[in-house]
Amino acid sequence: MIINADFHIHSCLSPCGSLEMSPARIINIAIDKGLNLIALSDHNSAKNCPAFYELSKNIPNIRTMFAIEVNTTEEVHCLTIFDNLDSVMKMDAVIEQSLPEIFNDPELLGDQVYVDENDNIIGEENKYLTGASSLSLSQILNITHQLGGLCVPAHIDRAVNSLISQLGFVPQENFDALELSKFYRHTSIPIPDKLAYPLITGSDSHHPDSIGSAYTSFDFDGNLKELSVEILIRLLKTNIPELIINV
Amino acid sequence: MLAKELAETLGYIVINNAGLDNEILDGYTSDLLSDVMGNAPEDSVLITIQAHKNTVAVASLAGIGAIILCNNREAPDDMIEAATKEDIAVIKTQDNQFVASYKVYNCLEL
Repeated sequence: MIINADFHIHSCLSPCGSLEMSPARIINIAIDKGLNLIALSDHNSAKNCPAFYELSKNIPNIRTMFAIEVNTTEEVHCLTIFDNLDSVMKMDAVIEQSLPEIFNDPELLGDQVYVDENDNIIGEENKYLTGASSLSLSQILNITHQLGGLCVPAHIDRAVNSLISQLGFVPQENFDALELSKFYRHTSIPIPDKLAYPLITGSDSHHPDSIGSAYTSFDFDGNLKELSVEILIRLLKTNIPELIINV
Repeated sequence: MLAKELAETLGYIVINNAGLDNEILDGYTSDLLSDVMGNAPEDSVLITIQAHKNTVAVASLAGIGAIILCNNREAPDDMIEAATKEDIAVIKTQDNQFVASYKVYNCLEL
């Protein structure tokens, strides 16, 4: 079967994410758009992942994964992607500990709410979620791998908060892939011609309209619900995924 | 001025035993490493809060002989290891980047 995957979707928990981006809405739109593998990836938190898991576990035609877009101490955005709720919540606890004591001002910066399966708000995150963790990129990489996740620096072509904008180079690390934004063909950032990592893309959706605007497509011969991080690592290494951009 | 003399004069602590005799002629203050790579003068000291091993990689490429970590930021082991290998002094202070820059500027008599 063909897998159409988007590992980069923000919910209403991200201060920059629309309040319309509830886990339920995200799953419904993703299915409508033909995606069958999606990850919820809020900034520095996984607190909407429990609802995302509950909502999707019994839907046969979509596999959900659970991610956090960590802002490392270098202020590099990095996707950490897990195939189970338990691991992402462990990552969430690590990241929460590592965030600075800067508190969110919803009026100025946006709401940071998490919800249940029925879109009821059950809590609000007080710490400002787009602050930088005290953990470095290589520490994040190691912790993600210890917890059995994929570590993918996000939108490396962007002029802010990307590997290349922050470091000026692509370090030789054990990254599982690099993510190109949907605007990568028009970037002003010099992206090296040859990157020694598999490449994926993602929509980086903050609003419902954006879901389906960019995804990564590849072949998978197996049961969708059993697609795991381990299988993904193998597929990304052995196939060259197709980057689909609809903008 | 040598890196060890700079640290000693300012009362800052060198946390690795490397790069002590590197000649420091200039300074650069930035927390954005791609900016450091493009704009830091050679033989300078880098004043930053970016305490991780990629700072060492950029310093090495830019010909920086010493890194001053401000606000008491702790250098992780892999950073110290990399800096020692590249013979770059890693210096720690509780001063922030503004104060450290002022002190270094005066010390180097720029």
